[in-house]
Amino acid sequence: MTVATLDDVEFGAQLPVFEPDTSMTNVRRFAVAAGWNRPRFTDHEAARAEGLPGALVPGIMSQGFLAAMIHRWAPPAEIINVDTVFRAPVVVDERYSIAGVVTDIDDQDGCVEIDLTVTNAAGETRVFGTARVRLPKA
Amino acid sequence: MSLDIDDLKERFLNQEFDAQTYSVSTESIVDYARACGEVAPRYTDPEDPDFQAPPTFASSFQAGRRLPDDFPPLPGLGMDAGKAVSPKRPIRPGVELTGRSHVHDIYTKSGRSGRMVFIVIRMELYDPAGSQLATADTSVVIRERPAS
Amino acid sequence: MILDLHAHSIKSDDGRAKVRNYCQWIRSRSIPIDGFVLTEHRQFDAESDYRELADEFELTILKGSEVETEYGHVLVFGVTDALRAAFDFSNIHLPLAEVLEACERHGAVAAPCHPGRKRVGMSAHLETLGVPEGVRIVETCNGGSRDGEDAVAQAMAERYGYLGIGGSDAHIVSHIGRCATRFPAPVNTEQELVDALKAGQFEAVTFKA
Repeated sequence: MTVATLDDVEFGAQLPVFEPDTSMTNVRRFAVAAGWNRPRFTDHEAARAEGLPGALVPGIMSQGFLAAMIHRWAPPAEIINVDTVFRAPVVVDERYSIAGVVTDIDDQDGCVEIDLTVTNAAGETRVFGTARVRLPKA
Repeated sequence: MSLDIDDLKERFLNQEFDAQTYSVSTESIVDYARACGEVAPRYTDPEDPDFQAPPTFASSFQAGRRLPDDFPPLPGLGMDAGKAVSPKRPIRPGVELTGRSHVHDIYTKSGRSGRMVFIVIRMELYDPAGSQLATADTSVVIRERPAS
Repeated sequence: MILDLHAHSIKSDDGRAKVRNYCQWIRSRSIPIDGFVLTEHRQFDAESDYRELADEFELTILKGSEVETEYGHVLVFGVTDALRAAFDFSNIHLPLAEVLEACERHGAVAAPCHPGRKRVGMSAHLETLGVPEGVRIVETCNGGSRDGEDAVAQAMAERYGYLGIGGSDAHIVSHIGRCATRFPAPVNTEQELVDALKAGQFEAVTFKA
């Protein structure tokens, strides 16, 4: 179900879980578009040579995934702020899922706050953060 | 070799150390948006009257220098520890943007692999008229390697 | 009475939760805890006063700290002005023995947290530094644990006879109450918490799926 206005949102509402495309093909596409075309993001061998577990999904791409998830849930949403903490590497070609839940509704300001987590297949949090989003009033 | 945090804060906090100009192409906006999973036409369709970069795009601009020129060499590998972005106005393709960067914060904590030093760089993004389009914070963490 | 003994607010550098939102979350989602303790990183938040919030939501909201030692991170309960003067909470190289001794002297309790975690957990240091004197309580249930870290913590506690507490280690609102500590009697103040911990009357509980 998508959200059109602030009235459509309930405290504690869960956003539809988003499974981002973390394939090497897609990450390379992103890296070129964002100007971040560096081996640690686009080449598993090169990343391991740097001591990393494999090529990394750039932090800004994880941030982009979070924004996309919010827009899919609430197309008219205006993102005021997205703040992310990177707890552990997000590795290219591994599966992740992104969850969001509404943790505050500010009727006066027309904003909601959302907790966001990126977890791996084992359910471990790799990235967490919050977003503040303005929605139209009914 | 470890960094003297108090000295660094005194010398570098809140002083602009870089200014760069950027311009974003239509193609890169579309590729960025699609790669992130955006489906809204305003991010994926150049014909949309409100076509603009996704709001987190501001985080992707990189300063000409990662740190001030006279910042001491980092004692370990620098990794992204977090990003925060506050978009204020749309970023449109072809518009010349100016990004001004300063060291916003420096602090330490202990982590799984030893002492970690966090450096927060803030970039403020402006359009040619001087309107602020976004603020983007990057937290870089350096895991200090133990002295050999 | 069930309290989450380990949570962070926006006062911690990596905390993203406002305390009011923790309260709203607990009540609206019927999280089975009666309150929580804010254990901010490397500091004691002396200035914040949550009594009104506690009354509004009928929750117990207490304050403690999470400090850093050579044996990893340690939760401190019963922080007083005198304890804050005894050692530097912002120092990331505190000797555990000093923290334990100061807590003993000033009527506080120190409990190593996430002891099963690499580097920042106590178990990672036993081989090189030895078993520290004076530890009685460790955190055996941590809401942020991964890769079997809680199992390591519990095995260590069993081996050395430590009592176990639980806490969520929440940094965002929706993680509050994932783990907690059950007390048989009411705990509504920092002093009552310290008394209950010293009396050994508690058990760690987990609400993780």
